[in-house]
Amino acid sequence: MHNYNEFISLMGNKILSKIEKQKRLYFEVSNENIIEVADYLFNKLGCRLSTATATDTYRGIEVLYHFSHDKTGDYYCPRVVMKDKNNPKMNSITPIVRGAEWIEREMSEMLGITFEGHPRPEPLLTLNHPQNIKVPLRKWRSNG
Amino acid sequence: MDKNVIPVGPYHPLLEEAEYFTLVVDGETVVDIDLEIGWMHRGHEFISESKTFTQSIYLVERICGICSTSHPIACVHAIEDIDNIEIPLRAKYIRTLIGELERIHSHLLWLGLAGHFIGYDTLWMWAWKYREPVLQMFEIISGNRNHYGMMRVGGVTKDVDPEKVKSLLDIMDEIEKKIEMIAKAANDDPVLKSRLKGVGVLTKKDAIDFCAVGPTARASGVPIDVRKDEPNDAYGLVDFKIIVTENGDVFDKTVVRLLETFESIKICKQCLEKLKTVNGGILNNVKEISPGEGIGRYEAPRGEVFHYVRTDGTNRPVRHKVRAPSYVNIPTFKASCKGISVADALITLAAVDPCYCCTERSLKIRDKNNEPYQLDLLKLSREKTEQLRRQMK
Repeated sequence: MHNYNEFISLMGNKILSKIEKQKRLYFEVSNENIIEVADYLFNKLGCRLSTATATDTYRGIEVLYHFSHDKTGDYYCPRVVMKDKNNPKMNSITPIVRGAEWIEREMSEMLGITFEGHPRPEPLLTLNHPQNIKVPLRKWRSNG
Repeated sequence: MDKNVIPVGPYHPLLEEAEYFTLVVDGETVVDIDLEIGWMHRGHEFISESKTFTQSIYLVERICGICSTSHPIACVHAIEDIDNIEIPLRAKYIRTLIGELERIHSHLLWLGLAGHFIGYDTLWMWAWKYREPVLQMFEIISGNRNHYGMMRVGGVTKDVDPEKVKSLLDIMDEIEKKIEMIAKAANDDPVLKSRLKGVGVLTKKDAIDFCAVGPTARASGVPIDVRKDEPNDAYGLVDFKIIVTENGDVFDKTVVRLLETFESIKICKQCLEKLKTVNGGILNNVKEISPGEGIGRYEAPRGEVFHYVRTDGTNRPVRHKVRAPSYVNIPTFKASCKGISVADALITLAAVDPCYCCTERSLKIRDKNNEPYQLDLLKLSREKTEQLRRQMK
């Protein structure tokens, strides 16, 4: 198993909770710290952003970034949970990781998340869609 | 000179998945490019939430018609990652064999199309002719030429008949000879080199910034390959090397794919030899999947395919995220297309190997009189090669 201890101790209390598995580290960070964490993973550790997953959970709308550390084959997955389901907002990491532009636009239209600081906050998949599609991946259509 | 806009797509011969490119040109030079996707969005992630794990594998197999086994492999890896499920050794070799055969036929398909776009129809016919035996191998192994239905959580669904291994190895030898012939012909051609060298350069920094994957990244000097970085299945048990070049142009992307094809042949032969001696089952019986989350990935012909599965203890995923390699490779056009000529746009767009499709059309929205007229990118590209050929005579 890869040793994530150095990363965990460096991040300190920025990590709110964590699940450590073989070659995978899932950890929760607050919205205020996500840019700093992404900056460290991408620019200092040399990780590549594979993609991100947004999920509608009972705790709120959750965004899970998947950073791949290709030299070791490990994954670092920071998670941000937005409790306000009616108006989920979080900081965009696109100014740090250019490769996050499309996936943040997709998550925005699929679950109604506002990514603050995104350079191009417009729909990716439904830009010219003939129907008025709204947040199709929300469970129970919780936005009403 | 006035700047003009050339829309490419949403239906175009370059693109199997419909996408829409807007090339902003100043005279003959491309100064900017914008992309619009979503024309083929089919809601696989949403549909998968209503399917059982086994059904999901068949569903994701239908995401792409060319790399149709990469998604199932990544999907089973993600589900197996939740409970650290081990699969039998024989199944590992069969999975790797199927994955590498797919890489050979996909790279040959791309090589043929690239040849066609720049006016080398002989290359196109050769590449597609010698791709045919690979599809026959799939038929011998799985019964299908496409959508093989081989993957299952815990192993594979069909065994490779030991009596057929020798004939499969014979076909492999034949294919290798033919691809050597194609590679030599391509390498000896000065027109091809001058047509592709220095065209559509993607720098290493841009490849890292855009998080590019697969041959697109490796041709720019980024040494990433899931087969080496996280060697699942039999990749840790076979001998092969990853191909990395430095220039990032279309020529290097072609070289990476051609040399990778030889590496794939090498892997296939090792797997087939092992299938003669490695016996045992091909499927571990997996009765349930625990609540949790798993990440699975596989090096598809175009790059890393990524699947994320979250479960709640039932027999279907709560969330299933799919990311295909073209999703991160296509945005690199923003960097690689700037400053190239319109005649080179076609082959640069094709060089990341986005999936291909039917009709070809492009429309220059406005000329000096603000009237639309047709502009054929394919014709322009082929004319440029012909011009080079005449100059070199």
